[in-house]
Amino acid sequence: MAVVALDTICKRYPGGSEKAVDSVSFTVADGEFMVLLGPSGCGKSTTLRMIAGLESISSGTIAIDGDRMNGVPAKNRDIAMVFQSYALYPHMTVRDNLGFGLKRRQTDRAEVKRRVEEVAASIGLTDYLGRKPHALSGGQRQRVALGRAIVRDPKVFLFDEPLSNLDAALRVSTRAELVRLHRALTATMIYVTHDQVEAMTMGDRVCIMSEGRIAQIGRPMDVYMHPASTFVARFLGNPPMNLMEGAATETGLRVNDAAVPVATILNSGSAVTVGVRPEDLVPTDKADNALFSGQVTGIEPLGAETLVHVDARDGSPPIIVRGPREVAARLDETIHLACDPAMIRLFDAQTGIAISSKELA
Amino acid sequence: MATARPSSVFISPASLKMGALVVFIALYTAYSSGPFVWVAMMSLRTTTEIAADPYALPWPLHWEKFASAWTDSNYDAYFVNSVTVVLAAVAILTVIGGMAAHCFARYRFRFRGVLYFVIFSTIIFPPQVTVIGLFQILVEYGLYNSRVGLVLVYVSIQLPITIYILEAFFARIPNDLFDAARIDGYSEWSIFWRIALPVALPAISTTIILNTILLWNEFLYAVVLITEDDKRTLPLGVLRFMGDQLEDVGMIATGLMIAIVPVVLIYVFFSERLIQGMTAGAVK
Ligand SMILES: Nc1ncnc2c1ncn2[C@@H]1O[C@H](COP(=O)(O)OP(=O)(O)O)[C@@H](O)[C@H]1O
Ligand SMILES: [Mg+2]
Repeated sequence: MAVVALDTICKRYPGGSEKAVDSVSFTVADGEFMVLLGPSGCGKSTTLRMIAGLESISSGTIAIDGDRMNGVPAKNRDIAMVFQSYALYPHMTVRDNLGFGLKRRQTDRAEVKRRVEEVAASIGLTDYLGRKPHALSGGQRQRVALGRAIVRDPKVFLFDEPLSNLDAALRVSTRAELVRLHRALTATMIYVTHDQVEAMTMGDRVCIMSEGRIAQIGRPMDVYMHPASTFVARFLGNPPMNLMEGAATETGLRVNDAAVPVATILNSGSAVTVGVRPEDLVPTDKADNALFSGQVTGIEPLGAETLVHVDARDGSPPIIVRGPREVAARLDETIHLACDPAMIRLFDAQTGIAISSKELA
Repeated sequence: MATARPSSVFISPASLKMGALVVFIALYTAYSSGPFVWVAMMSLRTTTEIAADPYALPWPLHWEKFASAWTDSNYDAYFVNSVTVVLAAVAILTVIGGMAAHCFARYRFRFRGVLYFVIFSTIIFPPQVTVIGLFQILVEYGLYNSRVGLVLVYVSIQLPITIYILEAFFARIPNDLFDAARIDGYSEWSIFWRIALPVALPAISTTIILNTILLWNEFLYAVVLITEDDKRTLPLGVLRFMGDQLEDVGMIATGLMIAIVPVVLIYVFFSERLIQGMTAGAVK
């Protein structure tokens, strides 16, 4: 049971010119599953390590349950962490790996043994208790790392890309298992990943980071539907949100040749970046009012769906459309695309920051 | 059916290569073990016999020479001295060297570079250079002619290489392991003993064996710093049989064998460990 609060946390590594983490603030509610998502090097691990107490805090405060944690050593924070590399003690058996932290806190050996065996059974490691890590498969090692965190029954669980060393199938099943675990333990969890699928499927909330700063925090679907910037729009979603140039008009927007009935606060004539998710674009016969027209340059059948690449051949970036399994489009033919105005997102053409918009009735 | 090759006549280039290699290794082994075998043979012959024919086979076998060296020529004392001095030096080296290596590998602290340089700059001086100064210092502090003094000198001459070997290994232990132990509630001190040291065991045993062998055979510092017969180590035992006029070659050989055999045994039993430690890859 714990609330983790970060208040304008900054981190500058000795010798680093830029701040690795810059003014990060968020509060993770008790029992919440918070995902830190962002490209490699954006400061996710550094943030997590500062929460863990493994890295000093340059400025700002971190509090757990209202207690200021700055300067409190990791061992006194009552947190558990699962590392990307698993960090299992190579010279210890699975049993000793699981019990190592407990033994430090608890003197009753029988109780340690009971707890280790209970956790081992719950994650299917009972048969491997006597083995050393090198005699385990990647998936089993990952379980030991997980078990080592669970066995301690900590206030807060921290995960640093715990699934990235697993193969695809195992990753999917472990993902589901972690979600189950979170429900069962109702513990506060902070989970770092660069994998947007993990973020979308596991997180109660996602905190998207870019270059040490928070780009957006919100529920996964909210962030997906209403990205706060073009960075988030392109980072989240695979394929990413399509961005096109547009301009505000007296009556709404003009995108390519289409007049789009969307109201903005922008002055008529000012440039705007228009974003549409690939699944929101549909082919249309009406060439004169198409949001986008271009030649089909690629068709990628993915089984459940088909991606169609459309290129206007005027220097603007190609557009990707997510269609059903069977699409009518043929290679090299010219098609026209339309979109429900409600699905259009607008961003400042210069800063990339989202602009509120409203569909005209 | 395919026609069979006349395999009895045909010698493949591979087996030829193999044969040449075996011959070469056999010759090299004979060459390098020659002196050892010769000393071993002489250790069982009397000086008179050796003078008559230096290379003759040892017959009859004079085993009593070993007993005589042990009891009459103070070799029992030399042996005990060697064991205590080497054990003490190696124990101190392992603990201090391990701790120093762990710190150099794991922590960034002020003067780290300077300290590292100071420690390692000592290895460029040949022992002949330092031994005179050491002699003066030990006399000054009343450690001349003392086994404690010799242990301290041994620790100081072997420390740089010990730290060097261990540091390379400690540096390869993933940092996450230490972070995990910190989160598991352990202090830096217990992390060294419970994680760093056990994980680095292959390298630790390498340095133990290496230091044991080198110090067991060490002659120069011992001969300069120890003059009292009762405090001498085994390599100095030969002095016992060297007069101004004549040398008792037969007994020197016997004394050498007493000194060599323990090292050879250590090497035979631990050579695999030694090589493992020296070539050990990254720890998982
Ligand atoms: N120990 C360190 N010393 C100096 N710079 C570091 C250190 N660790 C990380 N950095 C830098 O801080 C930035 C953020 O790193 P990190 O938090 O590991 O990113 P992420 O986990 O999001 O990939 C990177 O630019 C990285 O180079
Ligand atoms: Mg990282």
